[in-house]
Amino acid sequence: MRKITISLVLLVSTGVLSQNISSKKKLREKRPSYINIAVGKGYSRFVDFATSPLVYSGVQNYISLSYNKVDKKRETEYGFSYSFGNHKNNFNKQEAISKVYIVSPYYSQLYQLNKFNTEKLNIKVGGLLNATGNFRVNESLGNNGVGLEVIPTLFGSIKASNLFLSRRRGKDKKLAFRLNVGIINNSFRNGYVYSGQAFILNKPILESVFDDYQFKVFSGFRMNTALDFTMPLKNKNKIKFSYIWEAYKTGGEVDTFQAAHHTVKFTLLFNTNNQ
Amino acid sequence: MKVFKIIILAVVFIFISCEEAIWDKAVETTSPQSNLDYLWKECNEKYSYFELKNIDWDAIKVEYSAKIHDKMTEDALFNVLGDMLAELKDDHTNLISNFNISRFGTHHLGQDNFDWRIITDNYLPKDYYISGPFAHGFIANGEIGYVRFSSFSDEIDQINTDFVLNRYKDTKGLILDLRENGGGSPKDMFKLLSRFVETKTLIYYSRIKSGPNHNDFSDSKPAYVEPYDGERYKNKVVILTDRGTFSAGSFTALAAKAISNIVLIGDTTGGGLGLPNGGQLPNGWTYRFSITQALTLDKSPDYENGVPPDIPVLFDWNDLKTDEIIERAIIELQ
Repeated sequence: MRKITISLVLLVSTGVLSQNISSKKKLREKRPSYINIAVGKGYSRFVDFATSPLVYSGVQNYISLSYNKVDKKRETEYGFSYSFGNHKNNFNKQEAISKVYIVSPYYSQLYQLNKFNTEKLNIKVGGLLNATGNFRVNESLGNNGVGLEVIPTLFGSIKASNLFLSRRRGKDKKLAFRLNVGIINNSFRNGYVYSGQAFILNKPILESVFDDYQFKVFSGFRMNTALDFTMPLKNKNKIKFSYIWEAYKTGGEVDTFQAAHHTVKFTLLFNTNNQ
Repeated sequence: MKVFKIIILAVVFIFISCEEAIWDKAVETTSPQSNLDYLWKECNEKYSYFELKNIDWDAIKVEYSAKIHDKMTEDALFNVLGDMLAELKDDHTNLISNFNISRFGTHHLGQDNFDWRIITDNYLPKDYYISGPFAHGFIANGEIGYVRFSSFSDEIDQINTDFVLNRYKDTKGLILDLRENGGGSPKDMFKLLSRFVETKTLIYYSRIKSGPNHNDFSDSKPAYVEPYDGERYKNKVVILTDRGTFSAGSFTALAAKAISNIVLIGDTTGGGLGLPNGGQLPNGWTYRFSITQALTLDKSPDYENGVPPDIPVLFDWNDLKTDEIIERAIIELQ
């Protein structure tokens, strides 16, 4: 009798489970998905106290490529951004230029908070994993002229969308604001004296690049925001105008690296599943 | 759209303020005292040879702070800071502005021992070869190869080195003249020495500053040179050095001490066995100073004060037709 009961329970629960899985799969398939191609311009500033107490600033060119699936309930995005530009410091008539290249691969997952969901406001929370790599070349700094750091961060995220837009202006025109705050801030960065000694030890180039680097976990602070205005096109594609702000600094008592970016970008969202 | 613009402006304003709250304050100042303090502190915490050179850096701060006042000119401040760095007695230490570069001048620690014109007039054939960074020719009745290498300019490649070594492969010995070679790329040193060893050879150790105290260093790490898989010179080699042999030149002399078929002849080198860093002062000037120590095989940093020759010989300026150092090298190789 017990065996029959267990078999029945298993059968029923397997049925429920497979029904759940298939309904989730259907939901996933119905969730509109997009390939996003973005270009933009930004203004950035940074200070690397390990080599200079001065602020370097300049215009960054920005591109990004990502894939996202989004509906009211859930939002997933992964992709990368790349930006580059010259940053200058011209204090006291001493001009120094730092060429800056930044790559940021990222993955984000957001879920709707049902409690706060209304027709005019959709709140989602979740996380964002972003590993920013900065490559900087400043010839005036001699053997410390190349700066290379990786800033991997796990953010806690909150996103409010459908903000402030009335039906009169079109139901699908959306304004969204997203805030990401670093929960686990890390940095992989040069050691105490910044330069390594690998190239006077006849080490291979790959060993030279990260010689004397240190990985710091739970160290530093990072925060960014994105304000997006999205408009639908007739063919289920969309366009998006965004303003992105980001600021961070690495941890430790001495020789921190800090940067801030303001970016305005334009994104084409190509619908890939006709939903 | 108006609401959108207002929101954007508000958000930008809020987050620029946020940025200032998150950031540490950057320090841009032309204040003479602030710049002296900054430079002194950077050296104090990162320069690698205070103990070897027995430098009282605290006393130097007191001495040079007394020369600082708010109304001094940029030129005057530059000279005070440059003189302070010269107390480190190290040509890997410089202050750099857009109107001057300070230096110590280790080559003045000894007499001049090199005159290229005497060599071209009295030793080399008129049509001596120039292969990349090497000027070279047969001397001593064709029995010895002479190779002048004036700078580690990262120009050594397989073709020019193969050509030189193949040309002199049947000579009794090779003279490699590094006098007044102020250094450059250490990569050149490894490329060059790989042509003179038959087995993987430990040539020196190096350690890097790892903390703010004067004696905070990483563990010593070994540097090896491995034999080049191709044309190598297997007879005896003499390397000529003088006080103008500096940085990568001194590294080569240090390494030569560990290679059995190389003899050093001439004068003590100028040192420069610490890898220099690079940085910027609050007024925008840049600086550099040594942050590593190269150590001998018994892990001594003493050769920063100059790598001594195996056979000391000085130039006699009363005889402008003879290079006494080359003459001694010829005797050594015959």
